[in-house]
Amino acid sequence: MDYTNNQLHVIYGDASLGLEGPNFHYLFSYERGGFESLVVNQKEWLYRTPTPLFWRATTDNDHGNGFDVKTAQWYAADRFTTCQKIELTVDGQLVQPLPIAPLNNRYTNHEMANQVALTYHFVTPTVPSTSVSITYTVTSDGNIKVMTHFAGREGLPELPAFGLRFIMPTTATGFDYQGLSGETYPDRLAGATQGQFHVDGLPVTPYLVPQECGMHMQTSQLTVTRSTTQNNADQSKQPFSLTFSQADQPFAFSCLPYTAAELEQATHLEELPLPRRTVLSIYGAVRGVGGIDSWGADVEAKYHIPANQDLDFSFNIHF
Amino acid sequence: MQANLQWLDDPEVFRVNQLPAHSDHHYYRDLDEIRTGSSFIKSLNGSWRFHFASTPSERPLHFYSPDFDSADFDTIQVPGHIELAGYSQIQYINTLYPWEGKIYRRPPYTLNQDQLEVGLFSDAADNSVGSYLKQFDLDDSFKNQRVIIQFQGVEEALYVWLNGHFIGYAEDSFTPSEFDLTPYLQDQDNLLAVQVYKRSTAAFIEDQDMYRFSGIFRDVNLLALPAAHVVDLDIKPEVKDDFERGTLAVTADVSGTDAILELTVTDQNKQVVASQTQSGTGKVLFDSMPFDNLTLWSPTSPTLYQLLIKVYNNQHQLLEVVPYQFGFRRVELREDKVIYVNNQRLILNGVNRHEWNAHSGRVITMQDMQNDIQTMLDNNINAVRTCHYPDQLPWYELCDQAGLYVMAENNLESHGSWQKMGAVEPSYNVPGDNPHWLAAVVDRARSNYEWFKNHPSIIFWSLGNESFAGEDIAAMQTFYKEHDTSRLVHYEGVVRAPELRNRISDVESRMYETPANIASYLENNPDKPFLNCEYMHDMGNSLGGMQSYNDLIDKYPMYQGGFIWDFIDQALLVHDPITQQDVLRYGGDFDERHSDYEFSGDGLLFADRTPKPAMQEVKYYYGLHK
Repeated sequence: MDYTNNQLHVIYGDASLGLEGPNFHYLFSYERGGFESLVVNQKEWLYRTPTPLFWRATTDNDHGNGFDVKTAQWYAADRFTTCQKIELTVDGQLVQPLPIAPLNNRYTNHEMANQVALTYHFVTPTVPSTSVSITYTVTSDGNIKVMTHFAGREGLPELPAFGLRFIMPTTATGFDYQGLSGETYPDRLAGATQGQFHVDGLPVTPYLVPQECGMHMQTSQLTVTRSTTQNNADQSKQPFSLTFSQADQPFAFSCLPYTAAELEQATHLEELPLPRRTVLSIYGAVRGVGGIDSWGADVEAKYHIPANQDLDFSFNIHF
Repeated sequence: MQANLQWLDDPEVFRVNQLPAHSDHHYYRDLDEIRTGSSFIKSLNGSWRFHFASTPSERPLHFYSPDFDSADFDTIQVPGHIELAGYSQIQYINTLYPWEGKIYRRPPYTLNQDQLEVGLFSDAADNSVGSYLKQFDLDDSFKNQRVIIQFQGVEEALYVWLNGHFIGYAEDSFTPSEFDLTPYLQDQDNLLAVQVYKRSTAAFIEDQDMYRFSGIFRDVNLLALPAAHVVDLDIKPEVKDDFERGTLAVTADVSGTDAILELTVTDQNKQVVASQTQSGTGKVLFDSMPFDNLTLWSPTSPTLYQLLIKVYNNQHQLLEVVPYQFGFRRVELREDKVIYVNNQRLILNGVNRHEWNAHSGRVITMQDMQNDIQTMLDNNINAVRTCHYPDQLPWYELCDQAGLYVMAENNLESHGSWQKMGAVEPSYNVPGDNPHWLAAVVDRARSNYEWFKNHPSIIFWSLGNESFAGEDIAAMQTFYKEHDTSRLVHYEGVVRAPELRNRISDVESRMYETPANIASYLENNPDKPFLNCEYMHDMGNSLGGMQSYNDLIDKYPMYQGGFIWDFIDQALLVHDPITQQDVLRYGGDFDERHSDYEFSGDGLLFADRTPKPAMQEVKYYYGLHK
């Protein structure tokens, strides 16, 4: 394919939309309801489609004040929220209905565009339910702007967390970020210094009982580096990286080998599975950890995440 | 005198033939020994012969007799916990008594009429017994001297014999116990026998939220006493109103023959700033010594003066030298109900500290202590509460040198007798107002005072933790007040007995109080300054919201800060056969029930002494008001 015109090559597949540039290839699945493949320089970055996250592994303070019980339905939502609707926009034009087979028979292998956006609409299994939309806007340079919207709804318990979870096929060798030193939370970040930090590997903070950990607040840029893939034809061990940058506002993230559910399951560190993946969680809202006591005191109100208000956050993925 | 097993059942028997508590000064044969180590001390740490019995009735009788055949005894390391040596089940439990649901027990002289219950501990299924044997010969320098044995910490009750003769009995696990061995001592082949019981009535008042261990867990020393010896040293430095001048009063309690005591004090430039000679035996008082241009002791400048007493006999032979580093500082609770140290408002950037090592439990090394001090200094921590027992002897000296304020707590915690499933239920509370428990708890206050009275770092005596409140605790305060005008007294539990408000605690102390409630107290005609004896419960991923406590410092002069709970996670390193790794285990992981599971993981440090991520937050806020 010749990219001299600097446009995206758009592949109107039967079950997905492919977007291609000189060194990247993305697949946005209709079938799986999400962003299925993010390949840069022949390296795959997605193990499964990113999904909205609502849960954090219960902290000792959460357990003590019953927050985990009060918000239990977000645990289910974290796992079982499903995509119900997909919208595609090409160069500003909504393509309706979605060009799945056979509607895509009208295209060729030479379709080009400057900007393509896909929006996935998720519905939570909460009572009452609410919706989350994730919009990926891809430009011809391969940049992906990710915009996430949570529709606030009365009657829902406060959120333990709100973000997007990216699971990468293999463990990262480390990550570099521009933000705050150490592990920080909204109610515990005054002591952090601002700067550029490198973290080796994917450390899990060794709290006696595995729990929410590894949060980095107020981040402007994050680069995750891996050196292995699952591709049987790729024997290279050369490191390769992907970068996440702030769009309008800084974001929070954690980069761990485990999902919140995996951390939730273990009563000791050694019960956690062998690290295999990289679980990058990017947050639009983070709840404080609290600290007054561990048997009832709530996190200070200003560090809660009410679920009756809309939440929006966005960031860019690039390389 | 013969040992009586039923002392275990009697709260009024807690020391038999034990020597009185005294100051923690070191003493040496000559000046050189200050550098090289005292030849008056011989450590008995190391391998001891050991027998474990699950119950008192299974203990070996007459094991202390020189003709007893101990061929079937094992060896054990002293100091160490019997549980960590593999003999007895490890248990972590918080408020409930460790026998919860296993044995029905009430403290003597409470619900069960006005009487003792024979066998309550002396014939109890949960009272394991460690029988220890140690043979030793006397070094030449120990021969024909008075020789004392010093156990620095034994849980929870011990009987001592030497060469078949009963020597004494002691409780109070975290306080040194000393006995005079002289009458039964031989030059060679001495047989020291110690029987350690896991429980006694002391168990009702040693219910600290921690792993429940037993055994000889701190150093054991033989101490030789020269013909004249300073048994106790009472150093009372006083700072005048101008904070530049002061006086020093010194009293030495001398045992043995008449002695000549040459006292000098040198300052930090090694200039002699006071000297005086007195002679006598028994209480030897030095005339008050004036000091000008004082350099005060404080956390930012922990200046110490060097006191040295040379003890001579009448032929002017040097018998011993006693050095002591002391400091001048002035603690005041003023009319404005604010605590001042050296004319500055006191702000406690404090932490509660249990003694802990993930390999060895409460058996900790000098290196552990030094590391802890350095961690505190590195993170702007300026105060430590010895929760909830006296620490190892060197700790206080290290705090003097490092400039850490100490809240010195005596060994008392009885929450199992009044706190049940979160409710206040004092139906069988001890010590309460109970006259049968009074002497035991006042003795704990006395020991804490006598051992540590010369340390400038100590600015509060603390009457214990979560032990409700009553006349017995008021009597502990009375003891401290009668003996010490240079420090304040702290106790949190006075909230349980408002009628004793003026007789227990100089401060309003609370634990885990919300910033809003603290502000409410301080807004409504408070009668005492406020401090948090425990706050910011750092269990797991915690320590959020410290800003709100910091704001109180700026807003209310009577708010004096507090002590974070706590310094280090209590968890044990155990080899995991499944992952083949050494891993940290917590309550319940030893199949013990009832347990409070991970509740002992509240430290600013993980159990392996690496800091938790929250430490940077402590460093920041504690750095704002140094």
